[in-house]
Amino acid sequence: MIDLLILFIGAALLLYVLLGGSDFGAGIIELLPAGNLREAQKEVINRAMGPVWEANHMWLILIVVILFMGFPTIFTTLMISLHLPMLALLVGIVVRGSAFTFRHYDAIQEEKSQRVYTWLFGLSSLWTACWLGIIAASLNRGIIDPAARGIWAAWFAPWWGLYPLAVGAFVACIYAFLASIYLVGETEVPELKRRFVRLAAWFNGLVVVTGGLVFAASMTERTSLPAAFLRAPLNLAVMALATLLFVVLWFFLAKRRTMLTRIVASGQVTLILMGWYVLYAPNALITAQGPLSFYDQAAPPATLRQLVLALLIGSLFIFPSLIYLFRIFKLSGGKQAKAAGGPGPLGS
Amino acid sequence: MAFSLGFHIIFAAIGMTMPLLMSTAHYLYLKKKDPVYLELTQMWMKGVAILFAVGAVSGTVLSFELGLLWPGFMQSAGPIIGMPFSWEGTAFFLEAVAIGLFLYGWKRMRPWVHWCTGLLVGVSGFVSGIFVVAANGWMNAPAGFDWVGGAARNINPVRAMFNRAWPHESLHMQLGALSAVGCAVGGIHAWLYLRGRAPALNLKALRIAMIFGAAASIVQPFVGHYAGERVAELQPAKLAAIEGLFTSGRRVPLTVGGLPDVETRTVKWGVEIPGLLSLLAHRDLNSEVVGLDRFPRQDWPPVLIVHVAFQIMVAIGSVLALLGVLYFWFARRGTFPRWLLWALVGCAPLGMFAIEAGWVVTEVGRQPWIIYGIVRTRDAVTPVPGMVYHFYLFLGLYLALAAATVWLLRRQILAVQQKFGG
Repeated sequence: MIDLLILFIGAALLLYVLLGGSDFGAGIIELLPAGNLREAQKEVINRAMGPVWEANHMWLILIVVILFMGFPTIFTTLMISLHLPMLALLVGIVVRGSAFTFRHYDAIQEEKSQRVYTWLFGLSSLWTACWLGIIAASLNRGIIDPAARGIWAAWFAPWWGLYPLAVGAFVACIYAFLASIYLVGETEVPELKRRFVRLAAWFNGLVVVTGGLVFAASMTERTSLPAAFLRAPLNLAVMALATLLFVVLWFFLAKRRTMLTRIVASGQVTLILMGWYVLYAPNALITAQGPLSFYDQAAPPATLRQLVLALLIGSLFIFPSLIYLFRIFKLSGGKQAKAAGGPGPLGS
Repeated sequence: MAFSLGFHIIFAAIGMTMPLLMSTAHYLYLKKKDPVYLELTQMWMKGVAILFAVGAVSGTVLSFELGLLWPGFMQSAGPIIGMPFSWEGTAFFLEAVAIGLFLYGWKRMRPWVHWCTGLLVGVSGFVSGIFVVAANGWMNAPAGFDWVGGAARNINPVRAMFNRAWPHESLHMQLGALSAVGCAVGGIHAWLYLRGRAPALNLKALRIAMIFGAAASIVQPFVGHYAGERVAELQPAKLAAIEGLFTSGRRVPLTVGGLPDVETRTVKWGVEIPGLLSLLAHRDLNSEVVGLDRFPRQDWPPVLIVHVAFQIMVAIGSVLALLGVLYFWFARRGTFPRWLLWALVGCAPLGMFAIEAGWVVTEVGRQPWIIYGIVRTRDAVTPVPGMVYHFYLFLGLYLALAAATVWLLRRQILAVQQKFGG
């Protein structure tokens, strides 16, 4: 039962990073100067993200629900010790979602307000992505201390440091990288396609650099990543594979094989994320008092049964409808939009 | 937290009801092929899109805030009452998928399939509302566990979800949402109609909105009475606070209006109707109604707030019910007199106040308990210091969001007016 829930959390996390992450990345890309391609880029991002971003966002809520119903102690420890990063994350989520929707649905489309929305959307995307990384990094540092009472120890120490910061930057770069790769296939405009390929190259480089920074910064931690990975050779191999796949990725990208590049890039992120998740599983957190494992902290069996039942039945509804959503808008998105004669009746 | 909820409840109510209005307009368009209905569908759709996004993000904040502010509560409550949340999450997920399909699917799906996705938005929104109220119902009528030495044992999440307060609370809440939003939307379109803007469109909009608004408003008093009976049984202290009843007794009068004074244990300036409270609470003039004197002073809810909020809710409910009857009366005859339309305009915001007042009644009426009779509110709050800043942060954020939303919706209405040369 608990294994199934760990699997669900892992899957939801993965889908959130792969799907939601590229939405964040799109926001980060819009922060960069785009010259006269700005409007075209905005159109592409609106069209690509519009139908799916709310569904992509749900994976996060799913994780929260599983945690608080199935693993209440882990949930409360997280919420108390990482109170400030969680707040920062929430503010970012609120601003981002609203700015994106407002930009699209504002009945009066004018230069000034549109610029404000775009700026808010981009900035909050970057902000939220960084905080997500900081939170992820703080889980396993062994500093979270539910018994801490001082302002510094309780509020700041769990997430303060070079390492969380590096992970934050790393996550933001991964998101922007994913978004660039996805967006290449979302447009038929040659200049824009070239721009996204160029961005993918840039962020690819940045992912490698910040990834290196993460490893370097982890040397200041109680358990450094190299040490942790050396103890788990399989995970190390997974990370190495993720890095090597860049070669394959660029081969496909050069051949403009859109679908294959997407699959490889998602595969890389999957490997990195799962390498990290499995490195610590079944521990959800490592606190100052020791690890909090999913096995030890689970709710009573009656609750877990209901939770798994809800998740399974929910999956029966959610997955088919999600697949339908993506089939309609994603796989053949570009072609169908052209066939339908451009924008919908809204003139959007 | 209270503020976030107070904010979310309005958005959730609109988010549940507007898609239903939208689907109705869409249905009429597909049936009658009248382009005015299409115009109306798309106009409401934009509103739905904005409100759904804001509702979704404010809902996300809430799901985190449960843990951020009430870790003590969630630690014991999560395993017991997480079930409706997991179902609510499922329904909400479906809603998010459906809204993506509906908003962007105009030319990509067959018309009736597309219509179904729109309807699904409304239905799943409505269902998720019903689920989430189960959690509140459980706080009022805890079930599904044994409380042994400060911890929950023998947890049964199914019984917790199907607690005894769920049926009346969710029925009352969903009808309240339909009534408040239906009348508010009806009021806005009545105003536009009166101003001579796009009369054909606004009259159609008004009719659709009021079918829901008026019908729900008429049924609501009966459901409200049923809810009152249930509260009398489940939470006598809340009922006593609602009615400002300090002394238990038989043939108790119903006090209408007035300000309860806790010091003197009397209600000032209220109008008493002899024996009515006994009749209403237990269907018997001679039945005994429990007053606050049966409870230790520290277990009293803030009587003044609860009593006044309840009076506001009932007063508004009565006005809206009357309005609903009048509306159907004139709708049958086919024409609406101007005074009725102006009344609709005047009553447009009332339903929202009633929702907030009703929420105050159920929440403040439960105090000092967070889980009725089991955990006190002050024991559940987070140990993290400086909660004031948290409060100000979210107050600011929500005010900004609310202001932005109102501003955007105003711009929508302006755009429609310009289009029709108003």
